[in-house]
Amino acid sequence: MKLKPFYTFVSLFVVGAILVFANTPKISGYSHVENEVVNETKSDDSYNKMMDVLTHQRCMNCHPSDHIPKQGDESHPHYFGMARGEDDHGFEATSCNTCHQSENNLNSGVPGAPHWALAPASMAWEGLTRAQIAERLLDKNTNGNRSHQELIKHMTEDDLVLWAWEPGVDADGEPRTIPPVSKEEFKKAVENWFADGAVIPSK
Amino acid sequence: MADKEKDSKKVSRRKFLVKGGLGTIGVVAIGAYLFRSPIRRQILGVVNSLEAPYLDNIDQPMIWFEVTSDNNILLHSPKMEMGQGTFTGIAQMAAEELSVSMNQIQVVHAASSTGNVDSFATGGSTSISGLWKPLRELSAMLRVMLLKEAAIKMNVDVNQLSVVDGVISGNGKTLTYAQAAEGVENWEVPDVPVLKEAKDYKYIGQPIARVDLDAKVYGDPIFGMDAEMPDMLYGAVVRPTKIGSIFVSADTKAAEHMPGVVKIVVEDDFVGVVANSMLEAEKAKDAIIVTWDSYDNLNTDAIVKMMTVGNGNSSVIQKNGDSFDDQDEIVTLEFRSPIGAHAQIEPNGVVAFVDGDSATIKISTQVVGLTRKEVAKRLDLDAEKVNVVPTYLGGGFGRRLHTPHAVQAAIMSKAVGKPVKYFFSRKEEFQHDMFRPPTHHVIKGKLNAEGYLDGLEHQFVSGDVATDSALIPNALTNFLGADVGAIRGGFIQYTAIPNFKAECWHVELPFATSWWRSLGLLANTFAMESFMDEMALKANKNAVDFRLHQIADEPIDNRLKNVIKAAAEKANYNEEVKDSRAMGFAASIDANTPCAQVAEVSILDNEIIVHKVTVAMDPGLAVNPDQIRAQCEGCVIMGMSAVLYEQMFVEDGELTPTIYGPYQMALMKNAPKEIDVVLLQGKDTPGAVGEPPLGPIGAAIANAVRRLTGERLTELPLKLSKKV
Amino acid sequence: MEISLTVNGVLKTVDIADENTPLLWVVRDTLDLKGTKFGCGKAACGACTLHVDGEAVRSCSYPVKFAEGKKVTTIEGLGDRENPHPVQQAWVEEIVPQCGYCQPGFMMATAALLNKVPKPTDEDIDKNIINVCRCGTYYRMRKAIHKAAELQAEKVISESKEL
Repeated sequence: MKLKPFYTFVSLFVVGAILVFANTPKISGYSHVENEVVNETKSDDSYNKMMDVLTHQRCMNCHPSDHIPKQGDESHPHYFGMARGEDDHGFEATSCNTCHQSENNLNSGVPGAPHWALAPASMAWEGLTRAQIAERLLDKNTNGNRSHQELIKHMTEDDLVLWAWEPGVDADGEPRTIPPVSKEEFKKAVENWFADGAVIPSK
Repeated sequence: MADKEKDSKKVSRRKFLVKGGLGTIGVVAIGAYLFRSPIRRQILGVVNSLEAPYLDNIDQPMIWFEVTSDNNILLHSPKMEMGQGTFTGIAQMAAEELSVSMNQIQVVHAASSTGNVDSFATGGSTSISGLWKPLRELSAMLRVMLLKEAAIKMNVDVNQLSVVDGVISGNGKTLTYAQAAEGVENWEVPDVPVLKEAKDYKYIGQPIARVDLDAKVYGDPIFGMDAEMPDMLYGAVVRPTKIGSIFVSADTKAAEHMPGVVKIVVEDDFVGVVANSMLEAEKAKDAIIVTWDSYDNLNTDAIVKMMTVGNGNSSVIQKNGDSFDDQDEIVTLEFRSPIGAHAQIEPNGVVAFVDGDSATIKISTQVVGLTRKEVAKRLDLDAEKVNVVPTYLGGGFGRRLHTPHAVQAAIMSKAVGKPVKYFFSRKEEFQHDMFRPPTHHVIKGKLNAEGYLDGLEHQFVSGDVATDSALIPNALTNFLGADVGAIRGGFIQYTAIPNFKAECWHVELPFATSWWRSLGLLANTFAMESFMDEMALKANKNAVDFRLHQIADEPIDNRLKNVIKAAAEKANYNEEVKDSRAMGFAASIDANTPCAQVAEVSILDNEIIVHKVTVAMDPGLAVNPDQIRAQCEGCVIMGMSAVLYEQMFVEDGELTPTIYGPYQMALMKNAPKEIDVVLLQGKDTPGAVGEPPLGPIGAAIANAVRRLTGERLTELPLKLSKKV
Repeated sequence: MEISLTVNGVLKTVDIADENTPLLWVVRDTLDLKGTKFGCGKAACGACTLHVDGEAVRSCSYPVKFAEGKKVTTIEGLGDRENPHPVQQAWVEEIVPQCGYCQPGFMMATAALLNKVPKPTDEDIDKNIINVCRCGTYYRMRKAIHKAAELQAEKVISESKEL
């Protein structure tokens, strides 16, 4: 969906604000940036292959910049007002696990995977450019103090990350879309990008 | 009036059936309470905003009460309990005249085998008002009958007897109702005794806790979904996703051999599966490939286009004075309301058992008589042999005035020779609802030199509400050619205006629309009262004063004025924006119950927030003021849910969305934190309660928004067009 | 397959053909506890809310296999007429239910909330209590939730005095 230029202008300013206050982003400070990422075409370099996945809705929906998980291919705010809560797991009594279990539910269409939760606020990607996402990914201040090796392991082995390729069906029983790059290709791309020095291409 | 005289004597002409042996001793069954007015008068009664009288089966014997051996009274209610509190109200009415305590009365839904079948429906806010006279009379008669038997057994003159809590005493002796009833075979039927005067009421008028409160708090299995029968199987019916689908053929091969499948039932108009469990039935259902004839390209825009004033047939339902002549100074506003879903939380469901020439149907229904009739007709059974056993309803709201699923379950049961339980999936609930029809309103008004309306005209169009419903014969659904449901709230209530007209257009939609709590009232009042507000602003007059000035002086008008004044006073209504909050005012009359509301609204992040709603309503005598308050609170919240959030769409021939969430409804966080209810009593009998408070809420909110933002919102659900 | 779970304090072993059968249907149909309701089957309305090891769970979306060895509490086990849970007592005092169908789910969600947040603010309630009620009983529910918090606090005090 194309956003109006007006929003783009406002958003660039807001993104700056988010970067400054990365650890304490405010809900009111957030607004969408026009998504420069094109997911339809497959990229052939490792960086862009990896980014084709990270910017896909299956990943992005749980890396929100406004503390509100998103749902569906159009990334609407999670219904019923669910949000990050204190510990990325929703609210005290109504948490992610009130509905989401450790595997997809084919009867209800509720997705699930081990440790289902939002990515921490420091890993908010929604609205960022690929380069900004990569910066955040590599920055130990935002990535949970992970080394490159630990990042590779997380991105290629973690059940919740890999859920993106086995996202189950929706409430209507229709299969969810998966990232435009296969799981094996993604793993390879991640490994190669780090092996090549994790260089963030400049524009 | 000769007619009226006959009415007052009707009870002495009643038939009584006295029948024993229902498993309890001392069973007293009181038979047909005759109401001789034709159905037509009932319909016109609704139309004319008079409360409909209770209408039962004429000449059929029926059981109202059982006196049980432990000296309690079972009251078989022909009206269903769907949350509206009817069971509590009728228990209060019966306890009053029977002289028993509240906890000696147990209200149960009358199974159709008791004969106590309501030939109309539970709906239209008529249960308490309709039963007010007949139920108290029957209760008083039962008391007299028991006293007469006691007098014989106690050998004391009946005039020396008195009753407290079902215990008769006189001349130093006591006897319980149960003892009095025991062994009696021939009851003497008395004339209708004098009923208690209002000043002597012990239970009527008290805010007594709901009689079903404990059952609902401790999770008792009281709903249709909880019903079971021994050796029961589960059914599922393949339902199309596209509007207007007509069943052509079905390929059932794959489903036949799926686990748990007992039988695939193919009829002329549907395909069903019977299996050992619900999940197996559902899985097999998904494996059946059905060919449908359907509309593919329908969308919301096409429906909106159809639903436009000027399309279809029209009839003038109200007219006074002249039409507009000078077109120059006329203000015209158009309003729209969307397709609304019932979205009751308990899905439609039924357990049916067809056993030879008889059938038992356990079901959440608002139409016991119609359910029985439809099952009997389709399965070619004697209606007397179809026992419809109603359960508590997990929400009614008009959705359960249609129960064709009872017929389908009965057919499936007959096919397997066992009871079959069948209920809708949530997607089926949303796609096969009998929706609240979308509406379009064109309202014109012209102010005179003093700044009051010289003329007011309401033209509106709706899909079917009562028209084409199985509940009332089609010929009777029309009032001067208009749909009696669609016109609820469509009349002009400011009849001191010299020239006014209301005209209703009717368009048939390609999908089923029908009764949704309060029928046309929600949309009609939203449109009319928004327009009134705009005219008050244009005239630079206070919205309350502007209304009061233009209401005539009939009794109902004075009751309307009183609720308007009461709401304004209680809410301290004013037209200033204070602390970013504004008030909006609206009022309506529905089924002879006037209601006025003040909504206190602010806007946060472009969302409309309703902080407080003040309700003033005059439902006449309040049998249970607490439950009337509960209905007002519930109507405010259900109403704001409908006017702020709810909307069905048509996309590629499918009704959508099909799940809560995408079908957005008010949640806890959206509900007003304050709802202040003022009850007035402008007449000495009970009136309609369960729907009238749905009228004003839409316009009350929209009128507050107008004062906050300057924007006149004309479409439901209300959305701000610009950032605030 | 056989699954053992403790339901309302009683150890139950159920034989279920499909281990992915929603816990809701095992509770309702196999164990005949009808207080837990089916509303949507998609974890959207909350009518099926019960507790698994003290946590609120929407049982229509919870495969029975995950309940193996766990403690399940339904509305029938929350309290009864003789010993109502503070939430049930508050619901009675405020006369909350109308049609009543969604109420067990709301009461279970509320009981879970009070376990985590003994004295919830309006904001806590708005965030955590996100079930759907069609009759619009939210207004009384909010009052009942605050009252339940008070009743629970009193209960805790009186129980500690007894000790």
